Amino acid sequence: MGVLNEFFVLPFLDIAEAPLFFIEVIIGGLSAGVMYSLVALGFVLIFKASGVFNFAQGVLALFAALTLVGIMEWGVPAPVALLLTAAVMVGLAFAVERLVLRPLVNQEHIILFMSTIGLAYFLEGLGDTLWGSNVKKLDIGIPEQSFEIGGVLLNQFELVAAATAGTLVAVLAVFFHYTRVGRALRAVADDHQAALSVGIPLKTIWVIVWSVAGIVALVAGIMWGSKSGVQFSLSLIALKALPVLILGGFTSVPGAIVGGLIIGVGEKIGEVYWGPALGGAIENWFAYVLALMFLVFRPQGLFGEKIIERV
Amino acid sequence: MSQPQKKIGDTLLKVEDISLSFGGVKAISGVSFEIKEQEILAIIGPNGAGKSSMLNVINGFYHPQEGTITYKGEARHQMRPHNAAKQGIARTFQNIALFKGMSTLDNIMTGRLLKMRRNFLWQALYWGPALKEELAHRERVEQIIDFLEIQAIRKTQVGRLPYGLQKRVELGRALAAEPDLLLLDEPMAGMNVEEKEDMCRFVLDVNDEFGTTIALIEHDMGVVMDISDRVVVLDYGRKIADGSPDEVRGNKNVIDAYLGVSHD
Ligand SMILES: Nc1ncnc2c1ncn2[C@@H]1O[C@H](COP(=O)(O)OP(=O)(O)O)[C@@H](O)[C@H]1O
Ligand SMILES: [Mg+2]
Repeated sequence: MGVLNEFFVLPFLDIAEAPLFFIEVIIGGLSAGVMYSLVALGFVLIFKASGVFNFAQGVLALFAALTLVGIMEWGVPAPVALLLTAAVMVGLAFAVERLVLRPLVNQEHIILFMSTIGLAYFLEGLGDTLWGSNVKKLDIGIPEQSFEIGGVLLNQFELVAAATAGTLVAVLAVFFHYTRVGRALRAVADDHQAALSVGIPLKTIWVIVWSVAGIVALVAGIMWGSKSGVQFSLSLIALKALPVLILGGFTSVPGAIVGGLIIGVGEKIGEVYWGPALGGAIENWFAYVLALMFLVFRPQGLFGEKIIERV
Repeated sequence: MSQPQKKIGDTLLKVEDISLSFGGVKAISGVSFEIKEQEILAIIGPNGAGKSSMLNVINGFYHPQEGTITYKGEARHQMRPHNAAKQGIARTFQNIALFKGMSTLDNIMTGRLLKMRRNFLWQALYWGPALKEELAHRERVEQIIDFLEIQAIRKTQVGRLPYGLQKRVELGRALAAEPDLLLLDEPMAGMNVEEKEDMCRFVLDVNDEFGTTIALIEHDMGVVMDISDRVVVLDYGRKIADGSPDEVRGNKNVIDAYLGVSHD
């Protein structure tokens, strides 16, 4: 009885007793979820356009944040440093296309996947060599005061993060659906051979997606780095992106967003309300258990696109 | 069938001594032939003869180990898909390659991507002049849809269409590029008699109305005899005949290749 009580009664009583606190928990979860979403989004973009599962996406975020901090340490003002870092990410995209993707064109997907593992280690080492390995503070001037609306405590930083992520997603959605480059991207994602035959330059497309993924990684790196400092554990958020992808579907942009938010909110709620019953640390495994359940019951993810098969 | 007298012109494409192998497999050995402006050239031969490989060489999917490809007067060792498309070569595939997740309209529209004048990055800025351009392209696409009589499936996701219609949409996408040279890899394979007749009519009309040069691979000899101006016959990667349909039909090598061995 005691166990049932702890699982099925007490948490809900807690929620009912302090609904405002519940809302704060949700907001906290959303703000963590946005980060997962951003990393997952980078994965989805690259996977859609090139069928490459980019293991390096998390490290890309770390590398971007390290570069930004490094450039700011030279005394460069934040907006300029941001532009420079974005330029570095685009440069990286060119390098990846030239040095990694192009030599491996027409190879098995697993080989491309392995090459991104190599890329991840390379970038980690490069970031380390260029900018050092100690934890760095990142402050690009996002306000961090807390304030109250209707009894709910909000943090400005989290609002800015949410707004940025929202804007980014909106811009990408427009880019994908209403521009010709977007049409070309969708064509490449749908069928390489057909895309080539209508004259779409695959190499240009790859540079574009890797650039976009690099800039999405930069945004993720800024958000995460401003909150918890720029350190190598940043690349570990990539691990959380995997369950997000299983939830949202590997090829769905909205799926990546919604999946990230669900996991962010789910693990926070689980931790706060069910943590006592389960002995805590729910945040560490919640995402994976949820993903496993999806694999069993809905392997194509929330947004129902069929799992890619190639004959 | 009354063939209007055509103005077959100069050489549009010439392949010389093309050899292509995959590891130990020789797909094409020293094949040469020409495609003249405005003609319909049929490439025939038993399965595995190297016909598809030849089309892949022409549009740059495969790079031959030896030989020269001269297109519009410019000689090269190999084509590249992007450049081939840019210079007016469009194609369809033996195993249909469509954008299965997109509608018929979007598939055909995508075939016009290179026709869109503004450069690739600039196109990202869709509004303004680009929007006006988009509308003009839409109109052209609608004409192609009317031409191929596929109005009813304009908005249908092509992955859901029956095979014969998918072939037609694929032709539409190739036509959208307003090609100078159209490569069709078994456009009528797997079709019923009625669908074949439609497809023949489209091929003839494209050739006739737009003056498009066409190279097509086809197994149905009746169709080949009906629509082609000239026939190239491949067998085991070699060219064994090249001439008018009548000449080829009487050619002893061809009869042997087709009758001596059982195919399909
Ligand atoms: N991508 C490829 N890799 C390996 N072998 C190939 C490839 N494409 C074609 N071939 C081989 O080349 C030969 C000719 O094939 P193909 O050109 O498809 O013949 P056809 O279209 O006349 O039936 C066959 O032996 C085939 O197996
Ligand atoms: Mg073939």
